[in-house]
Amino acid sequence: MESLYLLIPVALIFCALVIKLLLWAIDSGQYDDLEKESWRIISDEDDADLRARDEDSA
Amino acid sequence: MPGAGKLQRRGPFGRGGRADPGGPGGTGARAENAPGGAEETCFHCGEVVPAGADFTLEIAGRARPMCCIGCRAVARLIAGQGFERFYTQRTAYAQRPASEAFCDDSVYRIYDDPSLARPFAERGEDGLIEARLLVGGMTCAACAWLIEHTLRRLPGVREATLSLNRARLDVRLADGETPLSRVFGAVAALGYRVQPWHHHAQRDEAEREYRRDLRRLAVAGIGMMQVGMFAIALHAGALSGISAEYEGLLRLVSLLVTAFIVTFSARGFFASAWRHLRHGALVMDLPVALAIGLAFAASVIATFQGGGEVYFDSVVMFTFLLLLARFVERRLRYRDALAWQDTEQALPDTVTARRDGAWKTAVRRALVAGDRVLVRAGDTIPIDGLVESGASAVREDHFNGEALPRRVGPGDSVYAGTLNTGDALEVRAIGSYADSRLAALQRSIDRARLGKPALARMADRLASGFIAAVLLATAATALIWWHLDAPRALWVALSVLVISCPCALSLATPSALANAASALRRAGILVNGENALESLANSSHALFDKTGTLTDAGFVLRHIEALDGGTTAAASEALAAALQRYSNHPVATAFAACTADPRPRDIRSLAGAGLEARLEGRTLRMGSGAFCREIAPRLPPSPEHALYWVALVLEDRPLAWLGLEDRLRREARPVIARLQRSGLECGLLTGDASRRAERLGRDLGFQRTHTGLSPRGKLAHVAQLQEAGARVLMVGDGLNDAPVLKRADVSIAVAGATDLARAQADFVVEAGDLRQVLFVYDMARRTRGLIRQNFVWALAYNALAIPLAAAGWVAPWAAAIGMSLSSLVVVINAARLRRRPR
Repeated sequence: MESLYLLIPVALIFCALVIKLLLWAIDSGQYDDLEKESWRIISDEDDADLRARDEDSA
Repeated sequence: MPGAGKLQRRGPFGRGGRADPGGPGGTGARAENAPGGAEETCFHCGEVVPAGADFTLEIAGRARPMCCIGCRAVARLIAGQGFERFYTQRTAYAQRPASEAFCDDSVYRIYDDPSLARPFAERGEDGLIEARLLVGGMTCAACAWLIEHTLRRLPGVREATLSLNRARLDVRLADGETPLSRVFGAVAALGYRVQPWHHHAQRDEAEREYRRDLRRLAVAGIGMMQVGMFAIALHAGALSGISAEYEGLLRLVSLLVTAFIVTFSARGFFASAWRHLRHGALVMDLPVALAIGLAFAASVIATFQGGGEVYFDSVVMFTFLLLLARFVERRLRYRDALAWQDTEQALPDTVTARRDGAWKTAVRRALVAGDRVLVRAGDTIPIDGLVESGASAVREDHFNGEALPRRVGPGDSVYAGTLNTGDALEVRAIGSYADSRLAALQRSIDRARLGKPALARMADRLASGFIAAVLLATAATALIWWHLDAPRALWVALSVLVISCPCALSLATPSALANAASALRRAGILVNGENALESLANSSHALFDKTGTLTDAGFVLRHIEALDGGTTAAASEALAAALQRYSNHPVATAFAACTADPRPRDIRSLAGAGLEARLEGRTLRMGSGAFCREIAPRLPPSPEHALYWVALVLEDRPLAWLGLEDRLRREARPVIARLQRSGLECGLLTGDASRRAERLGRDLGFQRTHTGLSPRGKLAHVAQLQEAGARVLMVGDGLNDAPVLKRADVSIAVAGATDLARAQADFVVEAGDLRQVLFVYDMARRTRGLIRQNFVWALAYNALAIPLAAAGWVAPWAAAIGMSLSSLVVVINAARLRRRPR
């Protein structure tokens, strides 16, 4: 059971990280518009791809 | 913005180059384009391609038909950048671009001046310029994709994010590489309308609130899982045995996490309870804050003393559930308020107006009555006015929720904030922005938001008393349990504190009123006093004004008195109809349905007198007796009947007297019958003293008809009824009878397009459809029914739940669920008012 002394702090650190991540996501406005985001997965392509194609055509 | 879900998703590039006509909704022109029709539709915007137009463009290896130069220019731009995917991804047609003139950066060059750009663009911490733009004309998510990707290719643009439901585009760009005007121009070139995004205090506040609520909710959720995990270990330990060391450890960690949740997520409850307590007010946050505080404090003591029970999981779960309920409730309540905020922002900053004989760009805010404005296809109409020339269709879903455009031609009124979907229109302003219907709507909403309705204040007082009672009940419960079973006393008392739900009581009335008002607004009715809904539902008498309310501006032909043996009544009628054909005087409406026989020439209209024309070399006149007697002195005086008489003479030969009557609105009869069936006593109050008015009252089935009343007489009449205990609904035009409307318990004004903004009444409906009066009345009745339901529910819930909790049968976490659900039920029930009645 001594492992608890290790596992609980690990769980808490994970918890803190998740909270930090979530707050960052909210603050950067990622939850402000839930309609567009549901479409992004089918309509988006990587900007990297775009740049590569730009260079090809240039 | 059309909901993407409604629209059919098309296969790549439609079928054989022709866009699927059944799919995307939009303007009326598209709706007419029935499936299977042989007409070609524009590949870009979906409009029918006019015959003879040849604007084809090759996209993805096929020639695609285009309807105009604008569409082709935009499509070429899109395809030229390699963004053909836009056409496969979209779920709605693009809007037809306004005109090529707008695809020029020079229009936007003024925004390159930093002082002009300051309101919507500022330098961020990293030295990049952050600009916020408002984009109009987006029809689906693919539009957002197209705009974002087009902008990201501009040199210097680091980031472009478009929020679809706010129509807001955030751009971050490096200074000096790309001027702001280039960004504006790039969006405009794609066929969208773009303008600076102005800050709006209320909207910013609502946005901040949304993020804050979400942060608190999210943290509480994660914390709940974490504390719940420890709680399971503790419960399992309690069953199968756990060493004091590990129990202490688990309790300590739970304490740490819970302390964080309480200070981060539950802070709002404490702050609000304390703020109100200092002013001597008891709010629903007080029992909540007390419950959280007490449970947490008791658990902390138990942890350090090493005995008793800890309820950290309950504290956190309680916090989470309450925050969740409040989050959902707020979203429901503000959804509409947000949609209505800032209506003026939908209007363009600059307009094309006629100045010194030429079309020039002018500032919209400087427009005054009489200014002539050019509204291009696809533009928002900037000002209330009358169509001077041009024929088009306007979409007025802002005002009446109707997605199908209304056809307009010269002489029709158009409103600021509506969308011109057809061709260009020339509009003559009837007033400045402050006089517009949109501004009146905005004012009524602002008023409603500022002044807390009297009913809501009453509900707050009620809830305040209720909370005091709950606190007493809690204290009593704690005392009794202390003697029965001391260790359980705290938890039972907490359950009582938590389960009682004053919010269901205090929300019952305001949420119903707010929803009803928003449903009315969406139907195009101006709501100036939502409290009046309650009086309306309880009114016993409905009094109508005649002119302008029951009748419209037109006339009907009632009687023809032939004066000349050689000319029959029918011949006179045909002649009059032929004369009136080209007149837009209200009298002409009486002859609209008649056959016009001969064709008089050189028809002239003389204001205040009548019409004059030439017929087979002779002078023909129609108008007032005096005007006709100028050429036909033999014209006898008009007949005795109580009608509006117009004379018709040919040279010196009197032909006929034509008797006209006010035209009754077609829907007046069924509306009054319906009101009477609902139990209202209907009456007619009119200043018209003629027998005609009396007959009209009888015809429409009014229980009481009072004719020939002066405004003072009308007032006295209403006062007399009120003294006898009646609650009076007055329906008038809102201008001439404003004092009577004010005196009545509740008032509805039926106002013409030009008077909408000035009419003084609790509700203002647009003339043209009297059934709106019925709609308001029905809504009031539904609202009253709903408020009763809500009250019954809130009282029944509390009456049942509090004794249960006091008996110790409800755990604190179940109490939290009960409380949250009971207020959600009230809010969701009230939202039913938005649905249109079947």
